[in-house]
Amino acid sequence: MMGRPVAIIGTGQTYHGRRRDVSYPELVREAVTAAFEDAGITPQDIDGVVSGTMPSMMEGISLTHFYFADALCQVGKPILKVETCGSTGQSLGHCGYYWIASGMGDIVLVVGHEKMHEGDSQATMTTVFDPFFQQTFAAGAPGIFTMQSMEWMYRFNIDEEKAREAAALVSVSNHDNAFDNPHAHIKIRVTVDDVKNAKVITYPVRLLDVCPNSDGACAVIFASEEKANKICKKPAWIKGLGFRGEEFFFGESDKSVWPSATEAAKDAYDMAGIRDPLKELDVAEVYNPFTYQEMIFYECLGFCPRGESPDYVLKGTFKKGGKLPCDPSGGTLCTNPIGATGLIRLAESVLQVTGKAGDRQVEGAKLALSHAMGGTDQFNGITIVSSEM
Amino acid sequence: MRRVAIASMAQSSGGESRDSLMDFTFRVAKEALDKAGMTRGEVGCIMIGSSDIFHSGLSCSNSFDWDGTGAFMKEGSRAEESIFAFIYACMRIMSGQFDTVLVTSLVKGSENPDNDACTSFFADPFYLRPVGMNETTAAAMQMREYMLHYGITEEQCAKVVEKNLGNALYNPYAHIKKKVTVDDVLSSPIISDPLKALECAPKSDGVVSVLLASEKKVEELTNRPVWLKGYGCSIDHFYLGDRNLLAGELKTAAAAAYKMAGITNPKKEIDVAEICEPYAFQELLWCEQLGLCGDGEGGALIDSGVTQMTGTLPVNPSGGVLAMNPYVSRGLYRIVEAALQIRGSAGEHQVDKDVSMALAHGTQGFAGQCHSVVILKG
Repeated sequence: MMGRPVAIIGTGQTYHGRRRDVSYPELVREAVTAAFEDAGITPQDIDGVVSGTMPSMMEGISLTHFYFADALCQVGKPILKVETCGSTGQSLGHCGYYWIASGMGDIVLVVGHEKMHEGDSQATMTTVFDPFFQQTFAAGAPGIFTMQSMEWMYRFNIDEEKAREAAALVSVSNHDNAFDNPHAHIKIRVTVDDVKNAKVITYPVRLLDVCPNSDGACAVIFASEEKANKICKKPAWIKGLGFRGEEFFFGESDKSVWPSATEAAKDAYDMAGIRDPLKELDVAEVYNPFTYQEMIFYECLGFCPRGESPDYVLKGTFKKGGKLPCDPSGGTLCTNPIGATGLIRLAESVLQVTGKAGDRQVEGAKLALSHAMGGTDQFNGITIVSSEM
Repeated sequence: MRRVAIASMAQSSGGESRDSLMDFTFRVAKEALDKAGMTRGEVGCIMIGSSDIFHSGLSCSNSFDWDGTGAFMKEGSRAEESIFAFIYACMRIMSGQFDTVLVTSLVKGSENPDNDACTSFFADPFYLRPVGMNETTAAAMQMREYMLHYGITEEQCAKVVEKNLGNALYNPYAHIKKKVTVDDVLSSPIISDPLKALECAPKSDGVVSVLLASEKKVEELTNRPVWLKGYGCSIDHFYLGDRNLLAGELKTAAAAAYKMAGITNPKKEIDVAEICEPYAFQELLWCEQLGLCGDGEGGALIDSGVTQMTGTLPVNPSGGVLAMNPYVSRGLYRIVEAALQIRGSAGEHQVDKDVSMALAHGTQGFAGQCHSVVILKG
């Protein structure tokens, strides 16, 4: 059963990167202001605010909604602070959706943010693991994602050289795409050889297979049908969503088939009435902090059969002009302010279906998927938006 | 908007638990499901109320909390505060997409630093943190202003402790069990002038679970549903100097909750209130802002005996936060205690009157920067 229809009427992003020029609240305000300008409304028009970050020591501030009360334009309004690690951005969007769908509000501002250069991201991420068993050998994010990549190649008998070649192409395509996105952080031209010869972080993952630390914020404005039709000429409509989580202990679940990603996508497809995502989706913003992981996601999200994503990548299925362009924004691989990243995926998918994506626009995109992953490879969230209600 | 009811509840006691956090969480979440005769697999979605590294020693605490709350491979999410988790769970049911949501909030205070150490990280690192700002020092300034502005006395503030810890003696889940007098409170060491040690809440363990259900579904789960009637929330400016500490955003939150519940005279229509008072005087100030008495009349209110367990408007019959302060989950404890009073199943701390409408309140942040108000009805 579907609740009230929910639209997105505006998005705003900061210029992501190393933002030494602004304080953390100023960074947040930059995205919020941009979203209000895009929607053509003022802070007085909103019924509430949802905000979140990767909940951690990252910036040395706890429960940031207090500090950001003024930056978020939320004084005198109801707020919700929702956080689920790397998948925070998608969880924030889901909260915005339910707030409107419930009838408890008509216009809600949703904001995700992270200023990673204030702290040590990998030290922070190591504290996601429990202090008794896993923390002693966890090496930040690359450690677990590498284990997953190895497990995946082994399970599906994928030739390591082929996977390496495909991962390098994924890196090249994302880095190329970032040049089309004025908000992207990393803008460097790389070749397949550059990627294959980059320094090893945790084998087989090399430096150019890995996302950066970014400072950035993203704001998205959700509205009810009535408000959206009144305020916005071309809103995007939420068609489906899903969020699933696995066991905490890394060794207990099968990361090569990744049930949380698979099931979250299935929930979203069921809700949106999508049966063949590769055919029906026009564009996807997949959360891709690591190239190998992006390929695993293609399989979990049903874009191709298990174990075959490297072949599809080599065929060019997911690059610009391919059958299903993925991450025309340059993706997480080129921009990763963690608490904002999942919401940036949503905002980018909204820009695509509303025809506002500028140089990174996929021609005629009507139906788009956005996605984020979080925890110790543990959580996956999906939102599907459409140009039609 | 679909109606939402509490179908079942469970809570842990506030004393130090010897269970691991995961087991500790699981037992309470399971109890709430068992009471409704439901299994984990049948629940529509799971909502967690927990906090980050400062309250658990773990970044992204939802990662660890996921298993114990029964969320494995379930649809779910997490809010950073327990009343946020509660209302988000209600929204999910109101949306029509779920018929049941299990909300669990957890914190093991005994395993992490003092509240003041944790709350000092709310402060910005440039202006407030270097001068030692935390919830206690902010509350001390608020208390001084409250006494100076309205002539509230230290004795009146101390009476709140005598009342609430007295009530806690009858609440099997309360953490602090100690009969204290006003003199005991006044002679306890000064923590941050004018706040005395016994006027400050302790740090407690606490896991609390609530199973929420849609109107259609709740009939199958209980014959004593407690309905959500009203909700309000509001946040104030961050810097204390930008705010009026005696007229904060609680009035805004309360007005929204009363409007939604159709309450025009809270003093008369509310039968019992569970108010979040981490510092004794705040119970008096919050009562004023909730409209349970006039501005500046909080002192007279406690003197009158109205808010005693036997009074016409009992406040914190459970003993409140002064008796038990699991920081993150304390708001949901207020909701559970209010619901128990409505059901008439609070046991020895059941109030002496019929309870139809109850108020639960939660607050966090310096001097009550953010407030939530929930109205429940039988």
